[in-house]
Amino acid sequence: MHNMTNTYKALSALLSYPTADLKMAANEINEILNQEALAPKRVLDQLAPLINELNTLDLLELQERYVFLFDRTRSLSLHLFEHVHGESRDRGQAMVDLKTLYAQGGLAVDASELPDFLPLFLEYLSTRPAHEASALLAEPLSVIVALKERLAKRKTPYAAVLRILEEMAGHEPKTTELEELRKAPDDDPNDLEALDAAWEDQPVIFGPGEEGCPKIEDMLKRMDTEEALNIQTQTTRS
Amino acid sequence: MSHLLNRLTYFKNRVSEFSNGHGVLTKEDRTWEDAYRKRWQHDKIVRSTHGANCTGSCSWKIYVKGGIVTWETQQTDYPRTRPDLPNHEPRGCSRGASYSWYLYSGNRLKHPLIRSRLLKAWREARATRTPVAAWASIVETPATRESYVKLRGHGGFVRGNWAEVNEIIASANAYTAKKHGPDRVIGFSPIPAMSMVSYAAGSRYLSLLGGTCMSFYDWYCDLPPASPMTWGEQTDVPESADWYNSGFLMLWGSNVPQTRTPDAHFYTEARYKGAKSVVISPDYSEASKFGDMWLSPKQGTDAALAMAFGHVILKEFYLDRQVEYFQEYARQYTDMPMLVRLVEKDGRLVPGRLLRASDFNGALHEKNNPEWKTIAFDRKSGKVVTPRGSIGFRWGEHGKWNLEEKTADGSETELSISFIDDRDDAVDVAFPYFGNREHDHFTGTDHPDILERRVPVKRLRLNDGDTLVATVFDLLVANYGLDRGLGGEWAAKSYDENTPYTPAWQEKITGVPRDKVIAVARGFADNAEKTRGKSMVILGAGLNHWYHMDMNYRGIINMLVMCGCVGQSGGGWSHYVGQEKLRPQTGWLPLAFGLDWNRPPRQMNSTSFFYAHTDQWRYETLGLDEILSPLAPEGAWSGSLIDFNVRSERMGWLPSAPQLQRNPLDIAKDAATAGLEAKDYVARELKSGELKMSCEDPDDPANWPRNMFVWRSNLLGSSGKGHEYFLKHLLGTAHGVQGKDLGEIGGQKPEEVAWRDEAPEGKLDLLVTIDFRMSTTCVYSDIALPTATWYEKHDLNTSDMHPFIHPLTSAVDPLWECKSDWDIFKGIAKSFSEVAPEVLGVEQDVVLTPIQHDTPGELAQPLGVDEWHKGGAEPIPGKTMPSVAVVERDYPNLYKRFSALGPLMAKIGNGGKGISWNTEHEIEHLKALNGVVTEEGPTKGLARIDSDIDAAEVILMLAPETNGEVAVKAWDALSAITGREHAHLAKPKEDEKIRFRDVVAQPRKIISSPTWSGIESEKVCYNAGYTNVHELIPWRTLTGRQQLYQDHLWMRAFGETLCVYRPPVDTKTIAPVIDEKGNGNKQIVLNFITPHQKWGIHSTYTDNLLMLTLSRGGPIVWLSEDDAKEVGIEDNDWVEAYNTNGALTARAVVSQRVKPGMMMMYHAQEKIVNVPGSEVTGQRGGIHNSVTRTVLKPTHMIGGYAHQAYGFNYYGTVGSNRDEFVIVRKMNKVDWLDAPSKTPEAAE
Repeated sequence: MHNMTNTYKALSALLSYPTADLKMAANEINEILNQEALAPKRVLDQLAPLINELNTLDLLELQERYVFLFDRTRSLSLHLFEHVHGESRDRGQAMVDLKTLYAQGGLAVDASELPDFLPLFLEYLSTRPAHEASALLAEPLSVIVALKERLAKRKTPYAAVLRILEEMAGHEPKTTELEELRKAPDDDPNDLEALDAAWEDQPVIFGPGEEGCPKIEDMLKRMDTEEALNIQTQTTRS
Repeated sequence: MSHLLNRLTYFKNRVSEFSNGHGVLTKEDRTWEDAYRKRWQHDKIVRSTHGANCTGSCSWKIYVKGGIVTWETQQTDYPRTRPDLPNHEPRGCSRGASYSWYLYSGNRLKHPLIRSRLLKAWREARATRTPVAAWASIVETPATRESYVKLRGHGGFVRGNWAEVNEIIASANAYTAKKHGPDRVIGFSPIPAMSMVSYAAGSRYLSLLGGTCMSFYDWYCDLPPASPMTWGEQTDVPESADWYNSGFLMLWGSNVPQTRTPDAHFYTEARYKGAKSVVISPDYSEASKFGDMWLSPKQGTDAALAMAFGHVILKEFYLDRQVEYFQEYARQYTDMPMLVRLVEKDGRLVPGRLLRASDFNGALHEKNNPEWKTIAFDRKSGKVVTPRGSIGFRWGEHGKWNLEEKTADGSETELSISFIDDRDDAVDVAFPYFGNREHDHFTGTDHPDILERRVPVKRLRLNDGDTLVATVFDLLVANYGLDRGLGGEWAAKSYDENTPYTPAWQEKITGVPRDKVIAVARGFADNAEKTRGKSMVILGAGLNHWYHMDMNYRGIINMLVMCGCVGQSGGGWSHYVGQEKLRPQTGWLPLAFGLDWNRPPRQMNSTSFFYAHTDQWRYETLGLDEILSPLAPEGAWSGSLIDFNVRSERMGWLPSAPQLQRNPLDIAKDAATAGLEAKDYVARELKSGELKMSCEDPDDPANWPRNMFVWRSNLLGSSGKGHEYFLKHLLGTAHGVQGKDLGEIGGQKPEEVAWRDEAPEGKLDLLVTIDFRMSTTCVYSDIALPTATWYEKHDLNTSDMHPFIHPLTSAVDPLWECKSDWDIFKGIAKSFSEVAPEVLGVEQDVVLTPIQHDTPGELAQPLGVDEWHKGGAEPIPGKTMPSVAVVERDYPNLYKRFSALGPLMAKIGNGGKGISWNTEHEIEHLKALNGVVTEEGPTKGLARIDSDIDAAEVILMLAPETNGEVAVKAWDALSAITGREHAHLAKPKEDEKIRFRDVVAQPRKIISSPTWSGIESEKVCYNAGYTNVHELIPWRTLTGRQQLYQDHLWMRAFGETLCVYRPPVDTKTIAPVIDEKGNGNKQIVLNFITPHQKWGIHSTYTDNLLMLTLSRGGPIVWLSEDDAKEVGIEDNDWVEAYNTNGALTARAVVSQRVKPGMMMMYHAQEKIVNVPGSEVTGQRGGIHNSVTRTVLKPTHMIGGYAHQAYGFNYYGTVGSNRDEFVIVRKMNKVDWLDAPSKTPEAAE
């Protein structure tokens, strides 16, 4: 174990399903984070509400919230590729690649979890040298930042965990990717029937127009070029 | 250097150009190819299929790399068809393909979930109590029970662990069995043909427990009751390949390219071959493009159209000219020659029941079942005879139940179908007419209620005096309004007369031009004449989901039977609603219902169950007077719909669940105390009134269903007609019911059912749903268990669309904490056996079963209806009331029984549909194949059923369709009854035994078996009725023939002895709310139609974003341009549709496709995706079933009467929903209800 990076393991634990063990370890986790100080103190301090809640709230209450946030809200899924590949076929290969990475690090997935599960990924990082870990962490950074923003919007203390990760990666997220993710709908299964308002599609407007079909716009543009006009004229003449 | 050494001997230069300079070789880096190669690398390929709600069994290759599914392609190795017939593949559709990635989807249910309040209460109780006592303390403390019941649908889940949730479920089941009775544990799962092992897992557990398994086919309204009425068969249809053999195809109320995508190519190919094609659909559906002609009748009036077709066919092919083939067919295969008694009613003659041998002095020498042998007139001998094949020959004697043209004593016959040439008289016979009934939205005609039509008759001397009789054919012709040259009123001389049922008459009702009707009818019959029956009708939900669906269906069946199409390859009826064809059925039944351990199982028809237990009956608005025939025989026809259902249950016609007001585990003890056999005790107690049936008081807590399992189904999200009533009464949570019940409005209360002013809310103590996604049903459940998808389990699929058995195979182990259904129920069974001894041991369970079709018991009530409850008859179990059996439950050993094949298979044997055979040899094979139980205990030495593959092997080994040896035994067993040799159909495959690994290697074609009426051979495609026509095996009806005349007393009472046109019923859901719930926008009332869609169901649910993106991304309804314009709705506006049942919200699709007057909402759009709040209810906008309510039809409750006897998923009330109307208007405010729930309990 590289002692340097217990922080990753601690954050992994915080993002895992709350258990009695986690409740007991809450203060220790806070201490480790502050000792290793991989993120500035002002950022680490933001964790206080979550640690406090782990200490004080009823376990079932903590679990209920976790299930609501991470098991049932698709836009908060802790499976990284959910946000990158969704239900696309590419997801399979991406997971194979990630598994290969773990294997190269001498580890095999032991839990019934997918390779892209963030707490699992963080645990892997905790076994890697610090510079390598932060480089790896930077790869899904835009997903982490997007998750942070969504959690912050909901005013849940979990946002702080992702805020720390963002800081630790020591990079700026790739803006284009992040913008894409920001545009992605944020759902909320809330109390009643797992509401998913965010999945509302934009109305499709057929034909040209301000928000018309991009394909038609392209076609129209092409038809508008002089070359195209020339061809048209020639065709009419012949 | 020599030339030799100068020259390359083994190499050549890589030339830079080739193909005359069209090709060029370069030396650039080719590592890019690695990416491509990587894309196609895999470790293994697994065969599986998708089956979200589809039995299509389309083969897919699943590629697995490093234990992860990476991609898949369509498999193309189905066995070839014969020359000159297109092959089946490629199979698969966009819905199936888009669901591949559900495996890893964020939508998956990954861990067992449980309501945290329930879990908390459980842990507190369990800390000091034993398991069952802990559960008792929860449900017996009203505040604790309400704390989670009232919150159903409001979130609050935490993860549970398997051991703990299994213990909770097991304790609840044990408590319920002990306290209320095991029949209060209910399980609903549909479509066993898709993943039949998964279905069997739950039903096996329930059946060993004594719980109740619920039907689906009737509840989904996919069952066409006209099929059991006509053929004594649930549904048997041609495979899609047989469309290709047809010369004239009609596609009627079915949308094959949209809903049966992998099969649609056969339709296209048939058209290339030259088949004519007519498409009948009110809207311009995707199928309409298939038509040489497209007819667009007003929705719901199809029977009128069918009657007009029949009118033309009878006139031109039976009366003006007699087609030889049609005459032969009618004589041998239909009830047209059978004789009907004419009886007097208010001074008129009306058709009564079919004449029986017992009506004659000496019963025409028939000693065995003379009341069940129908009579015809033989032209050869000039006498009345008892033709072979009627149901009386099926039971109690051997060798005469066949369709040979012979009498009982073996003399040859030629039956008369008409008395027109040798009549004794011609008399006016009265027929009911319903086309004049008032309806705000359907045009009728002003003909009288009763139409008298002249019929040729003979006068016979019977036991009860001289009686006039007519043939079914002559009555049929009269009913169609045809002129026989006998004079009289209402006989049409020309197609242009407005007399029911001429082409001119139907024009007024359906809007279809009469010349088109005449042309289609001629073309259809003409083709059938020339090809000996190769005219086919593909018909679907568009016809079957109406209250009077039987009329739509029987109208079409009449056409097919008149033209000799049924039983002929390329002809017949093709009903593809629902997915009922469980081909290895007789192998599956013992596994699924624990018949290897105890018989009979408890089975219930869901429509009647949900009608009673979601209290939809409390809101009934349809009066008996609205559906009763003006010619109904004398009798007590008063009361309401539920009264008829209760009468039916009491007479042993329909099943009951829960069954009796007392715990069935106590009744056996009570009987013993009284010194009586259980059946005598129950009969005595029922008669005295000491014991009541639960159906008489469904709102009494003693009669509530208490625990419910839902698996492989989205009951609350898609199939629950009367969704809001489910929420209110069964679940007891927030709901959107708008109407008031009969108590509140002071309506007519039922006669047979206790009325309680306070309606129950929350009958269920525990709702457990097993699914792989967080469906609407899971959201409302107390416990949701995560199951395996189609790439994570081993299972079997079969379909009616093709003859192959197809596997589901585990490509990867179940992800997260998911388990296969088999393992889940095995786990629950194990926990149950651990907790049960606290309150249960070996118990005697008294089980009531209705009189079953295909058993000798079906000959129960031959000539009339006597209600013991009214003092008309004695309650005799199995005859005038349900059968009563005592079943031993070994609760502590339930798990052991679950996982071993019980001794009854060897002791009693196996069988189905009225035949049985010995299975000892198969049992030995299974012991060798699956291994035997070695652990000590009651199952030691029996064949193991540990894994899902073991379970699949049980099915395959026991079923004639997959074990040639069994097929030969089954055919031999049938031969003993028919007196004809049938085994030749299976002999060539006697040594074939299909194993699970065989179907994994390649889908296998089934072996011909007597379970089904079609055969598999190298000469014909599978087609229903084939063995009836070609092997002379009778249909399993009263007459043994295709029965067009239904003579049961209730059929006569409700005016449906023969097919008639009946307009949709008035559900009265508009008037009470239309003026009260307005939002200021203009409103329009439209007929609410729910077809199947392109973006979900039939292999996907409607929550797949890939598919939804192709549509509008959320719930939509389709409106016509005219209707939309009238109320100012524009395309894509949010609209609300509502009535007294509830409300739904959706976007409007305004389209020319839709016929004015109707609104379409695709079936099963999910509440969990993009549904805003309703302005009417203040709740989330509702699903398509939010505006529906089940309305029962009394003729579907008939039982104890040959083909009209109960069978699970075979007969019973159906959940029709298309007679419903909704008020539609534009919404003012789209509220996504993003704020937290304001339910007081939730805010605690």
